[in-house]
Amino acid sequence: MNAREDTLLSVEDLRVSFSTEQGRTEVLRGVSYRLQKGKVLAVVGESGCGKTVQALSLLNLLPAGGEIKSGRILFKGKDILSLSPQQLRKVRGAEIGMIFQDPMTSLNPIRCVGKQIVETILAHKNCSKLQAKARAVRLLRKVGIEKPRKRLREYPFQFSGGQRQRIMIAMALCLHPDLLIADEPTTALDVTIQAQILKLIKTLQKQSGMATVFITHNLAIVADIADDVLVLYAGYCVEQAPAEELFAQPLHPYTKGLLHSLVSLKHKAEHLPAIEGYPPAPGMPQEGCPFAPRCPHVQDRCRVQLPPLFERNGRQVRCWLQENA
Amino acid sequence: MKPVEIIHLYKTYNKRTGRLWGGAEIKTVLQDINLQLGEREILGLVGESGCGKTTLAKVLLGLEKYQNGSVKINGLEIKELTKVGFKKLRRQVQVVFQDPYSSLDPRQTVRQILCEPWDIHGLHTDTTERERALRELLQAVGLDAAHLNRYPHEFSGGQRQRIAIARALALEPKLLVADEPVSALDVSVQAQILNLLKDISRRRALSMLFISHDFAVARFLCDRIAVMYNGRILEIAPAEELLHNPQHPYTEALLSAVPVPDPLLQKKREPVELKNEYQRAAASCPYAVRCLYYQAAKCKSTCELRQTVQNHFCACAVLPFKNKKSSYAI
Repeated sequence: MNAREDTLLSVEDLRVSFSTEQGRTEVLRGVSYRLQKGKVLAVVGESGCGKTVQALSLLNLLPAGGEIKSGRILFKGKDILSLSPQQLRKVRGAEIGMIFQDPMTSLNPIRCVGKQIVETILAHKNCSKLQAKARAVRLLRKVGIEKPRKRLREYPFQFSGGQRQRIMIAMALCLHPDLLIADEPTTALDVTIQAQILKLIKTLQKQSGMATVFITHNLAIVADIADDVLVLYAGYCVEQAPAEELFAQPLHPYTKGLLHSLVSLKHKAEHLPAIEGYPPAPGMPQEGCPFAPRCPHVQDRCRVQLPPLFERNGRQVRCWLQENA
Repeated sequence: MKPVEIIHLYKTYNKRTGRLWGGAEIKTVLQDINLQLGEREILGLVGESGCGKTTLAKVLLGLEKYQNGSVKINGLEIKELTKVGFKKLRRQVQVVFQDPYSSLDPRQTVRQILCEPWDIHGLHTDTTERERALRELLQAVGLDAAHLNRYPHEFSGGQRQRIAIARALALEPKLLVADEPVSALDVSVQAQILNLLKDISRRRALSMLFISHDFAVARFLCDRIAVMYNGRILEIAPAEELLHNPQHPYTEALLSAVPVPDPLLQKKREPVELKNEYQRAAASCPYAVRCLYYQAAKCKSTCELRQTVQNHFCACAVLPFKNKKSSYAI
C-alpha cells in the first residue's frame, strides 16, 4: 500500500466564512492537510483561530451563517461536501465520530443517557436492543464511569461535567469509527481522567487503526498523543510538522512563543517569556501576516504581504524568515 | 498575626435525598482543614474538581458559612464579624474569579467597575485624586487610560482578567484569593497574567491563596502547595519540595497524570493506574478507595497530617512505601 492509498482524510484549501453584521468574514483562510489511517493530527490554536470551525466542516455541520466557500474534503475517497443528507447521515457517527467541546449542550437533557447511547448504536448497527445496551455498559466502564448499569438509567443533569464529557466520548466511540474528531475533549476534565481518556483513544487507535483529528490548545496533550501538528492562527495554517520535530525545533515565531511561554513542571522559572499582545478577534480584516503585530521578528514586509507556506524538509511554515533559510 | 489562620475547619452541606418527603443527607465538604498563610506568602491549592478548593476560598471570603472550627483573617474570626466588621474585612481580602466573562458586569464601563469599590468604602472621593488613582491602577495591571470608558465586551479574555485583577487591587487588600484565574485564558495570554500576578504580589507585599488544578502553574507562582482531595488536605509542602519529592500516593498519581510538553519525554511517562475498591470506603483516609498502597490495618484508623521531612506534611498512614516509584517526581 502506498502512502496515497493509506490516506483516510484529505482536506484541500478549505475556506470558511461567516456572515456577520459587518458582512461576510473569513474565519478559515485556506487550510490543507492529509491524515493517514491510525495517525493523530493535532490542531493547535487559541480561541477564535478557526479550529472548531475546521472540525465542524469535516462533517458539514457548520452552524447557520457559516459557509464553506471553497475547498475539498475527501474522506475514504468520498467528497464529504457533495454527499446528500442521507449519505452524510450514514457517515456521521458510524464512520466519523465526533466529540463536541461542550458536554452540557450536546446531550438531550430530557432523555436518560442510556437511551441516547443505545439509539446511536441502533441507528447504525443491525443488533438487538439488549446487545446495544451491553455495548453501552462496556463503553461506560471503559471511560471510567462507575456502576454503569445503574447510571444508564440516569439523566444528564445527574452527572458531573466530567462524567458528561465521558459519556459524549463513549457515544463517539461506540461504533468504532474510522475517524474520530475530538474538539477539546479533555479541557473540562481533571488530569487523572484526562490521562484515562487519552489512553483509551490511543488504545482504540492501535487496535482498530482509528485516525484522530484532535483539537486542543494544550501543547502537553499534543506531545502525548499527536503524530503531526497543525498550528492555526487567525484562520491560517502557520506551521505544520511532525510532533517531535515541532517540539524540538519550532520554526514559526508564534509556535516558538507558545512553547516558550508554557509553564514547565521541570524547571522553576522566575519570569515567563510571554507573547505580548492578544490574539486577533475572529474575522478581523487582515493585511500581511496575521501574527505580525505580536511578532518579535517582524519586518516591514510582514505587515503588508502575507507569507506563503514554505516547505522545509517536509514541514510547512508560513513565515518570511523561512524564505531564504 | 498571620494573614490567614484556619484551625480544624469543618463545613457540611445538607443535601436533599431526592425523595419527596425524604430528609436531608449531610455531606461533609471540608474536613479538618488546618492552614496558615504567612505574610507575602503565596499558597497554592491544587486538587481535582469537586475536592472543595473553591468552597475553602468562599469560606475565606465570608461567602459560605462553616460549622466548626476557626477561620481567622488578620486575627479576626470570620464567624463573629458583624456587618460593619465584614465591610472592613473586604478592604483586606479581595478575589479574582476564574471566568472573566461572567465576573464583570457587562453594563458597567471599566471606570465604573473600578470606582465601585471606592464608592462603597468612601475612598478617593476627590475627583482629581481619583483620576490619579485610576491611572495608577490601570498602569499596574498593564492597561491604559484609553480603556476607561469601554465596556467589558470590547476586551479579550486576557484584558478582562486584567480588569478583574485591577478591581481586586483597588482597595489595596492584604490578601488576594485567586480562584483559577488563568484556566479560562488562551495559552499565550496565560503567561502574561501569571507574570502580572507574580509582579503584583511582590510589589504590593500581598499574601495570596492561589487555587489551581495545574501543578505547573502553581509551581511558577507559589511558595507552598497544598494538595486537596475530597475535602481534606493530604499533603502540604514548599512547592519545589512537593514536586521533587511527592510523599502522598495521591500527589504521586496526580503528578504522573500531568502531561509534559515534550513528545520524547511524554511517551516514556506512564500515568499511575488508580484503583476503585469500594469496600475500602469505610477507611479513615478519603483516598483509600483509589490508593495503590492501601493497607487495611493502617488506613482504617488514622489520616492526619504528619511532618515527614522539614516543612513537608503528609497525611498518609502507610508512609514510607517500599515500592514507591520515584520516577514520577518531576
